[in-house]
Amino acid sequence: MDFSHTWESLEPSLKYTQNPNFGVPPGKRNLFLKTLGEPAVQSFDYMFHGGLKKAALDMLPVEFEMKNQLKIKLKINKISIYKPTVGDDVVPPPKIPETFPKECRMRNSTYKGKLFVQVGWSISKTPEGPLIAQVPFERCLGEIPVMIQSELCNLSGLSPKELVSKGEHEQEWGGYFVVKGHERILRMISATRKNYPMTVQRDVWKRRGKLFTDKGVFIRCVKEDMTATNNVLHYLSNGTMRLMFNFKKILYVFPLMLVLKALINCTDSYIYEQLVQGLEGDIYYKDRIVLMLRQLQDEGLYTHEHVRNFIGRNFRAKFTDLPKWYTDEQVCKFLLENSVLFHLKDNKDKFNLLVFMARKLFAFAYGKCALEGMDPVMMQEISLPGHLYLQLVKDRLASWLTVVKYVILKRERMTKNFVLTSSEMGIALSKSGKIDSAIENVFATGNLPGTADLGMNQNTGLSIMAENINHMRYMSHFRAVHRGAVFMDSRSSEVRQLKPDAWGFLCPVHTPDGSPCGLLNHLSATCHVVNTTQDTSGIPTLLVALGMTPVEETIHNNNYSECYVVMLEGRVLGRVGDRSATRFVDKLRMLKVRGAENVPKTLEIAFVPRTLNGQYPGIYLFTASARMMRPVYNIAAGTVELVGTFEQVYLNICVTEDENENGIFTHQELSETSFLSNLACLIPLPDFNQSPRNMYQCQMGKQTMGTPVHNWRFQTNSKLYRLQTPTTPLFRPAHWDRINMDDFAMGTNAIVAVISYTGYDMEDAMVINRASLQRGFAHGQVYTSKVIDLKEIGKGNSRYFKRDPANDDLKEFLDEDGLPYPGILLQERDPYYCYLDVETAKYSVAKYKGTEAMYVANINIIGADWMSGMNKVTITFRIPRNPQIGDKFASRAGQKGICSQQWLAEDLPWTESGMIPDIVFNPHGFPSRMTIAMMIECMAGKSAAVHGLVHDATPFRFSEKNTAIEYHGKLLEEAGYSYYGTEKLYSGIDGREMDADIFFGVVHYQRLRHMVSDKFQVRSVGAIDHVTLQPIKGRKRGGGVRFGEMERDGLVSHGALYLLYDRLFHCSDHFQMDICRVCGSFLPPLSNLNSRRSGFYHSQNALMKCSVCNDGGKMEEIMVPAVYKYLIAELGSTSIQEDFFSTVLLTFIHCII
Amino acid sequence: MDKEGEPVKKQPMVYICGDCHGENELKPRDPIRCRECGYRIMYKKRTKRLIVFDAR
Repeated sequence: MDFSHTWESLEPSLKYTQNPNFGVPPGKRNLFLKTLGEPAVQSFDYMFHGGLKKAALDMLPVEFEMKNQLKIKLKINKISIYKPTVGDDVVPPPKIPETFPKECRMRNSTYKGKLFVQVGWSISKTPEGPLIAQVPFERCLGEIPVMIQSELCNLSGLSPKELVSKGEHEQEWGGYFVVKGHERILRMISATRKNYPMTVQRDVWKRRGKLFTDKGVFIRCVKEDMTATNNVLHYLSNGTMRLMFNFKKILYVFPLMLVLKALINCTDSYIYEQLVQGLEGDIYYKDRIVLMLRQLQDEGLYTHEHVRNFIGRNFRAKFTDLPKWYTDEQVCKFLLENSVLFHLKDNKDKFNLLVFMARKLFAFAYGKCALEGMDPVMMQEISLPGHLYLQLVKDRLASWLTVVKYVILKRERMTKNFVLTSSEMGIALSKSGKIDSAIENVFATGNLPGTADLGMNQNTGLSIMAENINHMRYMSHFRAVHRGAVFMDSRSSEVRQLKPDAWGFLCPVHTPDGSPCGLLNHLSATCHVVNTTQDTSGIPTLLVALGMTPVEETIHNNNYSECYVVMLEGRVLGRVGDRSATRFVDKLRMLKVRGAENVPKTLEIAFVPRTLNGQYPGIYLFTASARMMRPVYNIAAGTVELVGTFEQVYLNICVTEDENENGIFTHQELSETSFLSNLACLIPLPDFNQSPRNMYQCQMGKQTMGTPVHNWRFQTNSKLYRLQTPTTPLFRPAHWDRINMDDFAMGTNAIVAVISYTGYDMEDAMVINRASLQRGFAHGQVYTSKVIDLKEIGKGNSRYFKRDPANDDLKEFLDEDGLPYPGILLQERDPYYCYLDVETAKYSVAKYKGTEAMYVANINIIGADWMSGMNKVTITFRIPRNPQIGDKFASRAGQKGICSQQWLAEDLPWTESGMIPDIVFNPHGFPSRMTIAMMIECMAGKSAAVHGLVHDATPFRFSEKNTAIEYHGKLLEEAGYSYYGTEKLYSGIDGREMDADIFFGVVHYQRLRHMVSDKFQVRSVGAIDHVTLQPIKGRKRGGGVRFGEMERDGLVSHGALYLLYDRLFHCSDHFQMDICRVCGSFLPPLSNLNSRRSGFYHSQNALMKCSVCNDGGKMEEIMVPAVYKYLIAELGSTSIQEDFFSTVLLTFIHCII
Repeated sequence: MDKEGEPVKKQPMVYICGDCHGENELKPRDPIRCRECGYRIMYKKRTKRLIVFDAR
């Protein structure tokens, strides 16, 4: 593996944009950008190449008995997925049968390939007879989404030029799915490190049963096909241990000894010896082991067979899916194989691992080793899209197979003399439905089906939309790792903390602020997720050759306390003596670095040395996929080595060479910035900023308007932001060029004067020069697409677009085909499209409802599956969005502001050379925020502009001795400017020179996507809620801004009562009601049947009588809020009467207390 | 006037294929398929009408 593209140092320059070939697709892919999609793409390819085969092998057969007691066994032999092609139903077939993602995006369809399974089945001839295999069936179970750029994708292996010809970007890195026209990513979610027993403390465990404590050893077992389950060895307060495992989502807890004895046939003394070796001094521990063994004896379970039959007998009832002919022994075997430490196949290995876990748990329970927990990154790996996909397919197929079983049983019940022949089987298979919609639904919504059991602890939020607001946003989706939805609403902040072991793997800067803070992390730029499964069969023998005593030979090893256990992927291999351990590890590491002796380069060697009450010692080796690894320089070997998260904790890695004066370091960082994510690497001089400002910039960078795509014509995104006049920054880190950010330009260079000049620049507001705006500064537009599908518009089944020939007024707006002319301006209430309903022979015209005028950019007519003819179109609109007051801007140092005024150029200050600023920035923005990088950028940008250079903004290049100010100040002096970047300014109002020197330079500004046009909300009168009669909320529906409690308090405290009365009553829900002054009751009991009211309401008041008071009471009409009437009605419905005057009195008393 | 206009109306509209960019004449009830390559997406041509907006 070559990682040179990830760190080689680059000097930023203008070479790329000034090259005459800029814009021509290059011959080669940018390797760094390719790595963005790699975790997803490679894991998908793994699924396709080996995973599906392994999953099919691992899938449990469905076995059952028919009424005539014949045994039947169903099994999925083979699963295959094919490249996406145009459906067979498309007649005549198109010239190119392949489907490309571009087509799916434009047609709002899913990029999917056919899923085929081979169903093997066997049937016995007689009830007792053996199962005889029959000819298997090949069945298509529908089409399922295929990952872009994976080997199944039709784009795979295309050169940048070919990609462009297929309507993609030249550097398309893939890794996502196109589902219903949207790009969706299966999220990377951090999972617990697989096959490593870790000490965990959890309060909920206390509730698992009597005597249970919060301590346990947890292991997440993962099979080769990525099927996962959790096992926990619990510690009980009486010193015994119990093993928890689950089957079909139900938890079971077994005494440890029961499992140990069921696993292998051995004597009690062997078990005792294995558990006690090296701990002979601990009398209490020995006593507990004896106790646990005795408990089993007390139950009358003496031998291996006893135990197995006992387990089988007791569990038979729980496993209703198991066929009746299974013996107790077979049931027990089934249970142990499928729930207990199922990453290991050999029972002997399971036994050894359980022994190791028991010893570790005991050490943990007595404080002899430290708590590991699942929160630190060293105990985590990443659940990758391809692995999740595989599990999903496997799970759905398993449930499909049970459906087949029930279909067969049902047909047996329905037909007389049913014989399961081959043709009957074929019918049953085709009646069992397909699984494509269930799978596609997971991608479209991110929710797992309710019955799915993928060993994950979340069922929602698995997929997210890859929003393409700009290139930064799009890129960061592919490197984002979520901690898991479970933690989103957990009150503890423990999981959110940045622990030191995350160094180099998760970026400390790039995490959002607010609720997902610390839960949504981003991989650092050089972090690599292992995706290849390695052949590890040769490693045990190699380790023996390096000096390990294999586990079979350690039975009578008496100095157990002086050696380390060697464990490979959760399998205890043997032991290495304390004295030779360091040498052993060093030798192994050398082999790893060289890739010699079939030692994979992705091997992780975590050597935990023996420390007082530290982590449980041992040599733990990991080779499996889904681990995070990063390249560092191995000093002794002189080459680059990949180190893992667990391994790194026990390595000495220096950042720069001069740190390693005394030679204690074994490794060195490849670059000083290798701990930062892609986005953090793009911040200019982050080491000069206060740290939260860098986090803000990571957020704001993702909201910038820029150039999200180049294939505008093929985009049907619901919203795309485009900056018309982007410029490349003059002060930028080397990473900018490494990831070709200039291909997707965003932001504009602005001349900035740091001056408090107008009064319109208070509180982060900024004044923009109107002349600059008129010349195109930060001009932009928004593209939106709308799909009009006549199929979904109503009931009938024949409609197509056509202009109403009888209505000549439509000609101005609509073309003959009933669609608008591309290029025209569409305003509110203009005709939008017109269609003919064939059944009713009527034309209908739809009016454009939006309030914002927009241009019709282009119209795609889509061949729908519904019926032939023009009945489905996507219309792309373009909304011009040039900067206006209220639009948001930000520099790249987390300094955001709102445009508060477009100032006339002639009123702005000017310099001696006649420059006028584009942006006036208020100096008060600096002292509290301490964004020194922005000030340096101001100077650097200025010197870059005058010298025709691009300056390097990579962090850690300047120091106390070699300051950035000195460097850029000198350059400015050379160009004839002041050393400090200041200039004399003349007032634009009266032309006098200002006393103060004004900081004046060039800063790269980003225009953020938050614009007033999307946000302003005004209302005088309008829609009201039909229950409360109060104004509704919501900008879209023309609602009002809530005048809430705090606002009310404000008016009350000012004594502005009439204003309050007006706002909360007259402008809200004032209402007239009749009330009886005597009894204080309202309308419902008041209707007097004897008096007929007619004519004008008010003049008839005298006729009203109270039906409660005997004398007819005294009627009055008063004004109340409509909600109050509603309250009375509600109360009345529960037989509570309202006495208005007491209420008023009570309210009054309430107010004065 | 109207009688002259009618035969013009019958003339089918011309669309551009999304893949081979060939021109296709389509009537409203025709299937959306390119005659050349069978592609199922058509672009509507930009109007030739003079569109002048206020230059402000």
